[in-house]
Amino acid sequence: MPHELWITQLFNHYLAGPANWLLNAIHFPAQDQGRPWSDWMVCEILVVLFVLVFFGVLRSRLSVDSPGKVQHTMELTYEFIHAQAEEVVGPLGSRYMAFFGTLFLFILFMNLIGLIPGFESPTMYHMVPFGMAVATFIFYHATGLKEHKAGYIRQFLGPMLWLAPLMLLIEIISHTARMLSLTVRLFANMFAGEQVYLTFIALTKVVVPVAFIGLHLFVSLLQAYIFMVLAMVYVGGAISHEH
Amino acid sequence: MKSKLITLGTGLLVMASPILAQGQKPATSPSDATRLAAAYIAMGIASGLCGLGQGKATASAAEAIARNPGAVAAIRFAMIFGLVLIESLALYTLVITIIAR
Repeated sequence: MPHELWITQLFNHYLAGPANWLLNAIHFPAQDQGRPWSDWMVCEILVVLFVLVFFGVLRSRLSVDSPGKVQHTMELTYEFIHAQAEEVVGPLGSRYMAFFGTLFLFILFMNLIGLIPGFESPTMYHMVPFGMAVATFIFYHATGLKEHKAGYIRQFLGPMLWLAPLMLLIEIISHTARMLSLTVRLFANMFAGEQVYLTFIALTKVVVPVAFIGLHLFVSLLQAYIFMVLAMVYVGGAISHEH
Repeated sequence: MKSKLITLGTGLLVMASPILAQGQKPATSPSDATRLAAAYIAMGIASGLCGLGQGKATASAAEAIARNPGAVAAIRFAMIFGLVLIESLALYTLVITIIAR
């Protein structure tokens, strides 16, 4: 029996019924009916709840005259994301800041929850970054379609009309490769970080693993930032008016 | 223009070459030892080349900062971006070694 987190055991003990009902309703019954909750699903839901509570409480305590520390930090984050969006996407980049900010903060918190003992990063499992990548894919194609309407397909057809079938194939492969690379980059960084951490705990039990906790922290920030910047690059490519 | 068409046509015909593999014995699946050895060699090559690429990126970023200290922010962004993209190439190899287990 694989080892479960204590919080997954709690979820499986009390909420197995509703989970099984939901999974049966969408015709994806759990492989082990006694334990339908998996570690990553529980941690992801915890992150969602944390983000909702955190930003809900922050929203109600916003003040212009006497901002607190949290408000200052979040204003800095907002300015940072705004500046990046304007720089990478172009002058219209700040329209899509809601998506970029959500992507960045969600991935950041999901990566960081792995640092707390007793929880683990849901991004360590390949399904979670794949979900983020699919959401990004749908988003940037939707923004491209909204911007160009029917002319969006012209980006995929290349410079000359007789090259169109070949260029369409190449562009389709390139776009799916983008999704693959987004997924694999985030998944492999988190997974490899965890594996290396476990290896060093087995090898030298006390001092050296601290360096890997520091590495995990740095890599969490960097990978969340890179995911957001790449999403911005793709949105910028989709809404560009070069042709 | 005509030579481009000839090149394209020849390229498409060459791409049909797997048809020559008809009727031959299919490959056997590799043993565990072979898989491990291939994984070690693949990861070694991938990490080594990744190290070379990242070293080159960092070196040119450091030189650019030395030449133009006013552009540090832009150079730092380009360096980090480049490093992460090169790193992800080595990570693709890691994922393949995990999948091929």
